[in-house]
Amino acid sequence: MSDGPLSLPETLSPDFTARATRTAQATLGAGDLELDCARLRRLDSLALAFLSHLQAEADRRGRSLTLRGLKPELREALRGIRTPGSGVSERSREPSLAERAGEAALSAGREILSLGLMLSEALFHSTLGLHRPKTLLRGTTAMQMIRLGSSAMPIVLLLSILIGFTLALQSGLQLQKYGAALFLADGIGVSMVTEIGPVMTAVILAGRSGSAITAEIAAMTVQEEVAALRSLAINPLHFLALPRFWAMSITQPLLTAASCLAGIATGMLVGMLFFKLSAASFLGELRQSLPFTYVWQAAVKSLTFSWIIVFIAVTKGLGVRGGADAVGRVVTACVVHCIFAIILADAVFSFLFYL
Amino acid sequence: MNDTPALRVQGLKAGYDGFPVLDGVDLEVNKGEIRVVLGGSGCGKSTLLKNAAGLERPWEGTVELLGQKLDWSEGRPADDVFGKIGVLFQGGALLSSLTVAENVALPLRIRHPEIPGGVLRELVRLKLGQVRLEGAEEKFPGELSGGMRKRAGLARALAADPELLFCDEPSAGLDPVTSRGLDDLLLELRKTLDITMVVVTHELDSIRALADRVTFLSGGKVVFDGTLAEAESAGPQEVRDFLARRPDERYGETAAMAFHFEQ
Repeated sequence: MSDGPLSLPETLSPDFTARATRTAQATLGAGDLELDCARLRRLDSLALAFLSHLQAEADRRGRSLTLRGLKPELREALRGIRTPGSGVSERSREPSLAERAGEAALSAGREILSLGLMLSEALFHSTLGLHRPKTLLRGTTAMQMIRLGSSAMPIVLLLSILIGFTLALQSGLQLQKYGAALFLADGIGVSMVTEIGPVMTAVILAGRSGSAITAEIAAMTVQEEVAALRSLAINPLHFLALPRFWAMSITQPLLTAASCLAGIATGMLVGMLFFKLSAASFLGELRQSLPFTYVWQAAVKSLTFSWIIVFIAVTKGLGVRGGADAVGRVVTACVVHCIFAIILADAVFSFLFYL
Repeated sequence: MNDTPALRVQGLKAGYDGFPVLDGVDLEVNKGEIRVVLGGSGCGKSTLLKNAAGLERPWEGTVELLGQKLDWSEGRPADDVFGKIGVLFQGGALLSSLTVAENVALPLRIRHPEIPGGVLRELVRLKLGQVRLEGAEEKFPGELSGGMRKRAGLARALAADPELLFCDEPSAGLDPVTSRGLDDLLLELRKTLDITMVVVTHELDSIRALADRVTFLSGGKVVFDGTLAEAESAGPQEVRDFLARRPDERYGETAAMAFHFEQ
């Protein structure tokens, strides 16, 4: 654009407005701004917003904006522009980086505190507090076991079979080169029981059951159903978390066992079909390579993972604020946090169990 | 009438995510009274109700329900406080996975599992009769209209015979006839059950039908407390404008932009 007053066309296009805004702002940065409005024929919403924005910008910087040659009828229209006064709430100031960091730290602290409180309360009511009056409806734990656990069986089995097949085939081909195909049983057995079974089942349940728990409880929270429970002297944590806690505590180790068995059985089939192994030799080798310690360690892992899923899912659901969009956000956050926490816990277990 | 107020709120400050909504609210509701809390949208009516009913923790101030001060030192007030109050939520807040009968029976099933099933069913039938919702026992909340959901929520709130009932916007979203029916129902329940009620609303018809006294909130503070007649005759201008449905001048207050023109 040339020097001198910035000249406006008959009507302002979005493209022109974008360029003119940048030019005008640069001019206002250095001094006062003049606009040549002689050709301007129409003040549509975009033109009004453009001029209003520049006037506000000029006021903010202590500069002046002069509109030259504006037609009288357009002047009247421009005088009609009104901005919100003191009675209307002003847009709040954007928080600084330090404020945002502080707010995030406080929020994380609150979340950890609430998770800790819930964990301790749920553990207390599942153990020492069992004799206290319960706030559970008959059959809810069984119903949750079906919804959160049993119905995940097909997907857990299918994925375990596929992983068992791939793992057995890939490792069998390598072992065969050294005439050690029998050790396929060791590889499949140990990897399925110590890692793949517990972790994969936990990740599937985090995505399937964790998200379902969060979505259900978050929807109840935004629809005031949780507040209604409180008003009826019903502890929402007991009513909502405990049935899910028990259901996941029972079903997840069972699903993990099913996953391990499916993976190992598939590995055995692969060994028999592709590497000429007999079932007896595979099982014999498996028995030798898989001490009972690995089995109970897998049980401890899967139980811990189930608690992680329930606690994160329930905390996210109860902590939701807002409407339907907030429900979507906490469900996503639940799955991400669950998977992260599961992998972190798995790393801790590896350190504790195998070092 | 007992001297202890059914509800006493003193110096209540509350809000969300660091944003203050209530700024030092005092409120006293006598037993047997219907107190209507009114004010424009966003003035903090529902926040006051939730804090007064012990559903949310106030930032500052105290709440006494039926002579018992709410103690938040253990993270939430004791359950026995909630046993004496009922809350009718704006949308009914029925548990969607339970039938109407199961919803109404829920507080008693949980707190008094020893009550025989037959007695509980009869009690549910009586409560649904009180709110004129006979025959809806086996329906799920999703199958009910907005008015029916509120009446089912009211039946549930009344299930444990509360002494104090909080109602959050009972007529919101209802057509005028259904809304009037609900107001009549609340008046009838007050008469037959002698319940104290705190009703949050901005529906003028409901205010006129229900209120023994009104408390007007504005900017997070109580700007008027008295009878409706006093409010209309001698209340602050803002309150009189509200009751006369005159637009509040503060809303939409604007200033002209000062453009500089040259030929």
